[in-house]
Amino acid sequence: MGKFLARKVAATLVLILVCTVAITSFFTYSRLESVLSSLVESRYGVQLYSVKHDVEARLGLGFPLKQLRNIQDAIDREKLNDPAILDIEVFDARGEILFDTDRGAIGTLVPAEWVKSAMVGGALFSHPDDDARAVGLPLANSLGEITGGVTLRYPAAYLDNELAPLIAKLAREGLLLLGAAAVVAMLGSYALFRPVGRRLAGMEAILAAPPEERFLALDADASLEERFEAFAAKTREAMDHMREASEDVERLDRLG
Amino acid sequence: MRFDIPRPLLVRLLALAVLVLVPAMALLSWSSLDHFEKGLAPEFDRKAVTVGRDLGDDIERAVGYGIPLDKLVGVEDYLAPALEANGELRYVAVADPEGKVLYILGADSRDLEPHYRSTDYDDPGQGDVLGGRSALIGGYVDVAVPLVVKGGRVGHLHVGMDAGYLRHRFGEMLTDVGVLMVVALLLTVEILIFVVVVNVSGPLGQAGRVFERVARGDFSHLCWFGSDDEVGRFARRVNAAIRAADDLFRRLMAYVDEVKTAHFDPSVVEHAALIEARVRFLFRFSASGAPKAEFERHGIDVRLALFLFVFAEELSRPFLPLFIRTLPAPPPWLSPEMAMAVPIAVFMACIAVASPWAGAISERWGSRRVFLVGLVPAVLGFISTGLATSVAEVVVGRAATGFGYALVTMASQGYMARSIRSKKSRTQGLGLYIGAVLTASVCGMALGGVLVDHIGFDNVFFTAAGMALVSGILAHRLPDPVEERRDIATPGMRDMVDLLRNWRFTVLMVFAAMPAKLALTGVVFFLVPLSMAGQGFGFGDIARALMVYAVTVVVLAPLVSRLADGGGWRAGLVALGGLIGGLGLLAPAIGPGLPPLLLALLCLGISQGLAASTQLAVVQDICWIECRTLGQTYVLAQVRLLERIGSVAGPLLAAVLVPLVGYNGAIAAIGGLVLAAALVFAAASFSFGAGPHLSSEEA
Repeated sequence: MGKFLARKVAATLVLILVCTVAITSFFTYSRLESVLSSLVESRYGVQLYSVKHDVEARLGLGFPLKQLRNIQDAIDREKLNDPAILDIEVFDARGEILFDTDRGAIGTLVPAEWVKSAMVGGALFSHPDDDARAVGLPLANSLGEITGGVTLRYPAAYLDNELAPLIAKLAREGLLLLGAAAVVAMLGSYALFRPVGRRLAGMEAILAAPPEERFLALDADASLEERFEAFAAKTREAMDHMREASEDVERLDRLG
Repeated sequence: MRFDIPRPLLVRLLALAVLVLVPAMALLSWSSLDHFEKGLAPEFDRKAVTVGRDLGDDIERAVGYGIPLDKLVGVEDYLAPALEANGELRYVAVADPEGKVLYILGADSRDLEPHYRSTDYDDPGQGDVLGGRSALIGGYVDVAVPLVVKGGRVGHLHVGMDAGYLRHRFGEMLTDVGVLMVVALLLTVEILIFVVVVNVSGPLGQAGRVFERVARGDFSHLCWFGSDDEVGRFARRVNAAIRAADDLFRRLMAYVDEVKTAHFDPSVVEHAALIEARVRFLFRFSASGAPKAEFERHGIDVRLALFLFVFAEELSRPFLPLFIRTLPAPPPWLSPEMAMAVPIAVFMACIAVASPWAGAISERWGSRRVFLVGLVPAVLGFISTGLATSVAEVVVGRAATGFGYALVTMASQGYMARSIRSKKSRTQGLGLYIGAVLTASVCGMALGGVLVDHIGFDNVFFTAAGMALVSGILAHRLPDPVEERRDIATPGMRDMVDLLRNWRFTVLMVFAAMPAKLALTGVVFFLVPLSMAGQGFGFGDIARALMVYAVTVVVLAPLVSRLADGGGWRAGLVALGGLIGGLGLLAPAIGPGLPPLLLALLCLGISQGLAASTQLAVVQDICWIECRTLGQTYVLAQVRLLERIGSVAGPLLAAVLVPLVGYNGAIAAIGGLVLAAALVFAAASFSFGAGPHLSSEEA
């Protein structure tokens, strides 16, 4: 008894719970990714700052960016510090790569938005770049003019690799919790709706065997059962009356 | 426990919902926090090592040139920029090989030195990270990076990070989860009310009324049921019993008719007629040939659909002016403040213009059709606002949504008004509408502020469009509009003038209703988000601040509804609300910061809570005649129209004030205006009396 209403309510509760957990998981993942990516970017920012410091110190001596010595060694050394770094490149104001840990890329152009971000000056910038992410800093000469930028690329999968075990662990726990909550929802709904089913079934039984005819005064606060009892009694009374009346008419008809 | 009234079952179901949702979400959040702290710790350490390595290189170079480590000059100045540039760093220290702190910035060396002296850095052990060693010292994560010159270790550079930094960052996430939890519970309440009323208490309540009829001998009605569950099966059995009695009656009547028309003996015919008269005296059966089931309207039928629609609309509430600010600069003739205010004002103006018409066509076409028609412009408006790239496009999108909003809300209000059986509970009935709108406001504002941080402005508008469509699916199952179609004469402009000639009505509108709406749109929708954003608060903070207003109204409105239903001086409650709101809005004049704004929002919430549904009850008292001659729906639609004049004026007035007195000054100025209006209304309200006015104007 009570299974249909209980199922409806349990399904409603579980659906709400699934939606809430799904949105919470999304929020959590999004926050986690943002915290991790800001940590990673700020860490690479520290490395880039070191390169920027070197380059700008030399620019301060009046050399043009293209003619600086030792920059290639500095970026190679930084790359060696972290095997996750794909490459570090120094480019001029036109976006042409002047120094790169991947020497084959020297002379090619960086994406226009990198140049645009660098030319704004100031803070660390970051951009997605195919399967990688790039973080960069602008380079300025002693007059404060932006002369180019230095960027560092790391694989986008780096974040996924860091996050994957955490997400897997949480997904397992989330599913377990969902399962447990669904069981509570179902048991609770059954417990709540069993009396509804029982009482309705009890009332249905009264229909089959209505109470003896008696005067049932219904006040405004009469319970559903009391009203139903009056209903069943009146229905039986009406049907008995109708049957008797039919018999009377039949008898009259025959007598005539 | 009674099942034919919703409250007892609902209370138990809500307890079950809390039991299902809260522990699951709490455990999930706690577990997330724990996992993330552990999972992100290595990256945290790597950052410290990188900083330490970067700073250490220069120190090593200096020592390599022959300067002893303890004789370096200006080390603190050298370390300072690193500390400033990295928010999670708390200190940087340089220690000699024995652990004596030589230079330190950001902490007291006495807190750290004992630990450094007692640690053997040559002994590899726990806490070793790539290029350093990590240890927990008090509230710090200390990462020691060795300083090596010519192969020999000359000391350590220690980078100390706030151990609570990650917990703090994820604390923000927990706040989001908390908000989501509140929204989920409120949504659950709405859904459970719907499920219980539609499936259990509604059909059983109606069945109870059928039982009462039958107990009086009236077999002309059947129970209505729309499902195949226990209640549906029970209703079917009850209907079968009624039909069986009806069937016996029809057969008897057919037999009596046959005897009356065909029998040759007049005494038999007379006897048969007597039997027929006795049966017809004792029992009543349907005159149309079969008993009928009548769908009984409940305000709850439309409440969930309305709730979801308003929820969708409110999602953009915490950020709409800030979203407009991100769009390309408006034309030079439009100030930036006015550019942010115009879309809000246009939205309100569209609601104002469309509401009377929407009320009238809702009477003619039926609520369901008008609700569904209203969804078309509303959804298109949400989508076009999400895609907008200029202020003009936002204005068009908001205008469409405002037009749809008027249709949907008026259709819902009409449906609820028609479902109220007892005149005594009219304020509570209106409270049903206001309750749905306010709860949806709380949910929409709260979730909108959190969502926008994660999915961006455009996707929030698309989400709103999706939710509005879901509300349409729910509205689609409302009863057939043909059954409720009524052709009524549409009152004209003259009727509006007649209404305004009722001076009490005009005073109520001009000095209470309009200022209240002016404060709502000008302050809550426009100035508070901008003021808070200007002070560096995020969308989530803005949403939570706005929730103070909405939650206060939600809590107060039902209590005040009951108070107002019980009679008493309703106009006095409206006046008191105005005074509290006006005084509270003066608080931001004290100065910047969150507390004055929260106080203003709280007072405005109390004000609206006291006045919102009470105002409508006052209208029905002072416009007793008009409600009967022009129709209650028409009168209420005019109230909405006049209120919206305040709603339109709110953001525009605020946009004019901001360049002159700033955001907080503008809030206080609007507060002064509301206070002045409330004082006038309070004085006038003494002649309002209590109860209905049986003539529209005595003077």
